[in-house]
Amino acid sequence: MRLKAWQVAGLMALWVLAFASAQEGVDPREEAKRQKQLLLETSGILPTELVVEQGKELFQRKGPSGKTMAECDFGLGKGVLEGAAARLPRYFLDTGRVEDLDSRILTCMTRVQGYKREQIRRSEVVAVAFYIASKSTGKKIQVRLLFPQERELYALGEKLFYARSGARDVGCATCHVTYVGKRAGVLPYADVLGKDQSWTHWPAYRYSNDQIWTMQDRIRACYGNIAHPAPDLYSLPILALEVFLAYRNNGAVVEEWPAFVR
Amino acid sequence: MKRRTLLVMGLLLGLGLSQVNPFRARLEAALHGGGHEFARVMLAQDKGQALCSQYRDRLPPDLVPQFLAEQKALIKYPKDGKLLGDWKNGEKVFTDPKRGNCYACHAGDPKEVAFGTMGPSLTGYGQRGTSEPVVRYTYEKIYNAWAFVPCSLMYRGGVHGLFTPEETADLVAYLLDPASPINRR
Repeated sequence: MRLKAWQVAGLMALWVLAFASAQEGVDPREEAKRQKQLLLETSGILPTELVVEQGKELFQRKGPSGKTMAECDFGLGKGVLEGAAARLPRYFLDTGRVEDLDSRILTCMTRVQGYKREQIRRSEVVAVAFYIASKSTGKKIQVRLLFPQERELYALGEKLFYARSGARDVGCATCHVTYVGKRAGVLPYADVLGKDQSWTHWPAYRYSNDQIWTMQDRIRACYGNIAHPAPDLYSLPILALEVFLAYRNNGAVVEEWPAFVR
Repeated sequence: MKRRTLLVMGLLLGLGLSQVNPFRARLEAALHGGGHEFARVMLAQDKGQALCSQYRDRLPPDLVPQFLAEQKALIKYPKDGKLLGDWKNGEKVFTDPKRGNCYACHAGDPKEVAFGTMGPSLTGYGQRGTSEPVVRYTYEKIYNAWAFVPCSLMYRGGVHGLFTPEETADLVAYLLDPASPINRR
């Protein structure tokens, strides 16, 4: 897609606006809504919508086994997507593991569709996550700690959330509990366990740097920001943090998935 | 008879203590699931970090005196004993994201507009003068903030080697020297 000159100018204006307004300390949620509206008016379609469409295509693509992802169970039965993402992470009997949206997509592509693990691109997993999450807009977060595996991960996640480690002596809670509302960069720290209900903000498109992220990417970037080695994608520590965050945001209504954030 | 009982008890206790705690082993395995580098840093928590994690930054009052004393003992000083260094180099350390990274939380040079609000503004910090107690406090606070406020957000840059004792003295000068942009009007 080639951009016309006025579109380029529009995008640049967006950038300047985004930067200038961030300096004034406006409410980041209101600002994101405004940016979304501007982007919609400029290009006619939102990046989130494009990725959801791409994810839908991948979902309906047949794998080496001849099956589409509709043959997979995302927690509510084969092919049922309505509200499924709002109930993840959860324990799955078929794998004997707790899985979030990202890892369940991976399981689907390998076990059901017959892809080899190394054939699966991260961008595909994220696109499919965007599509499946889009079917949970308006739903309530309902994550349970029924199985011992779920409870064990919750406990680990809580431990990691409050841990202070590394050369910067900080951890998630330092900023997201103790220093909520203060800021180190442009944005004030979100109250992730409380009123900001950050679990419902991901997966999301980030307009400030044109990236599509799931909560896994968000958590890894948090560790990056504090110069701490990040846990690997799809790994147990990330899953543990997700179970903790999701459970603590239980009852929160998903305003829009995928979300549109700075 | 009594001695024999004691011996047996001692042996049993030793056996118990020498076993790897199964919970600890599970935790270590889980952390290594996230990659060895991640696990290494998580498992290398020092005593101070472990206490701040355990009590979620609110250390019980009876633990505070020992905590402060232990943190104070971690402070190292420049070989020449000078705690007030070169403010120009201090400015470099102050702004370097890999060393001081101070603007992440503090305002400093009034010309710098990209600063965080996690910590108090340091603009005009030099109005405190350069008496020995002020210089010493500033040095020790920068080197190890936890020697003054247990579990504060401000990380212990000196303790972790993010800057050397000499660079800490340079940071002190950047804050206190009347010629430093922090103090210029």
